Amino acid sequence: MSHPHHAGLPAQAAAGAESGRGAGGLLRILGYPLALDRQYQPDTHMWVLPAGPGLVRIGMDALGIETSGTLAQLSFRAAGTGLAAGRPFGELEAAKFVGPLVSPVTGTLVTVNEAVAADPGLAEQDPFGAGWLIEAAVAGAAHDLPGLLADPDEITAWFAGKVEEYRLSGVIAQ
Amino acid sequence: MAIRQLPVLPARASEPQISPDYVRISMASAIALRMRSGRFSRDFDFGGINLLLNYDEGCLSDCGYCGLARTRPGAYEDKSFIRVEWPLVRTDDLVDRMARHEATLTRLCISMVTHGHAYRDTCDITRRIAERVSTPLSILVAPPTLNRERLETFKALGVDMIGIGLDAVTEDLFRHIRTDVPAGGLKWEKYWEVVTDAREIFGPWKVNVHTLVGLGETDRDLIEIFLALRDRQIFSYLFCFNPEPDSRMADLAKSPLTRWRRVQLAKHLIESEGYDLSQFDFGPDGALARLRADQASVQAVVDQGVAFVTNGCPGEKGEPGCTRPYGSYRPSEPFRDYPFMPGPGDLAEIRQQIRLDEVLG
Repeated sequence: MSHPHHAGLPAQAAAGAESGRGAGGLLRILGYPLALDRQYQPDTHMWVLPAGPGLVRIGMDALGIETSGTLAQLSFRAAGTGLAAGRPFGELEAAKFVGPLVSPVTGTLVTVNEAVAADPGLAEQDPFGAGWLIEAAVAGAAHDLPGLLADPDEITAWFAGKVEEYRLSGVIAQ
Repeated sequence: MAIRQLPVLPARASEPQISPDYVRISMASAIALRMRSGRFSRDFDFGGINLLLNYDEGCLSDCGYCGLARTRPGAYEDKSFIRVEWPLVRTDDLVDRMARHEATLTRLCISMVTHGHAYRDTCDITRRIAERVSTPLSILVAPPTLNRERLETFKALGVDMIGIGLDAVTEDLFRHIRTDVPAGGLKWEKYWEVVTDAREIFGPWKVNVHTLVGLGETDRDLIEIFLALRDRQIFSYLFCFNPEPDSRMADLAKSPLTRWRRVQLAKHLIESEGYDLSQFDFGPDGALARLRADQASVQAVVDQGVAFVTNGCPGEKGEPGCTRPYGSYRPSEPFRDYPFMPGPGDLAEIRQQIRLDEVLG
């Protein structure tokens, strides 16, 4: 393999020579953009960004989108639905894959991004921006939610390890 | 929520990206060869690589059910084939990838389209592949472009199996959907002439005829063609009609799952268990009404699951080689054919879908 294993390394080391700051303040890790201003659920690639008092915005990171394949459809539960961390709030369908969109938080679904529902390509083009999926009301501090990675070094090391894992398992093009 | 019509090609390049130097490949093939990112909903081995010739003019046929039909609205590069994008790739890059991943490949298949250069270019691409890769190779032929001599050339180039996309299983249906259409003209007789020549040249069980379920045929029509082909040692490969948006048959519904499962079972009983016509009873509408068979033995066949696996050319060791995952249904829909041996959960669903008690006893 041409890419060394990065899991467990601090952000700067994991990012290494193949990474750097891209447009919009995104870091590039082994070719994939990553935003460090938010929290991540490491099993599902969902990110969580505080969006106001008791409110978070939720999306899927670029690697989660990429490894699903070309998106065909995103569907969501209705606004007002209760959310439980680890339980689906919708479904993602790609060319050869279908799977649940799993909530990283417990709370209530407040808003669905109708633009991404109408054009799932938005999630591919701008996963950390216009391609967000839903907004949810949560109890407690939105910047320190249970079960999520919040430390930039931890996030970077986790993400780099995932890129490597996906390359080895053949789900990302190379 | 919206279902996207996936684009087939990126923006048109300044130079023509046409066969033989370019081909399209199925999305499943692109994922298997790591030319595209993505994965399958279920975890299974996949090594059946499908190529499709590509021309600016597209396919010159005009079949009512096909996404590539000549008079289907829209530019050719925006058309889809069996619903999803078929990425366009350089043929030499593809062959490199095949060589790199050869150990995981089970079957290769070149799909021709009806075009004046299709025969020439299929030979060219076959040579490029055969020089580098020894995985068994099939060609899904375009009969209007062929004759006996050309089939013999395919054989000499190393092609292992020939497929003929008859699709419509009766002459009337074929004429209605593929001949007497705006830019049609395909000939039923020509298709059968190629079936006969291919059978003689390639030998027993080296030819397959594609039969599409859901175009308006009856179960009796299908069972009769399965029997006729079996008696000539020719495989029938089942395909499930899947309406392509904007095609002339876009509004026709797919076959109900119960019918589809029973047709899968009937074909398996004919090809693998030696059933004959007297063991099938039909209603006045030609629908399968009763199987004259021992309930336990039929149940055992269902329980094996093989009947519901995708029909396709085999791998080198006889294993399913071309399994086309999600080829005629969306990943969010129930499986039509399984690109792997159905597991216990799948078999439980199949038993519910097939409602065997209604046609046995």
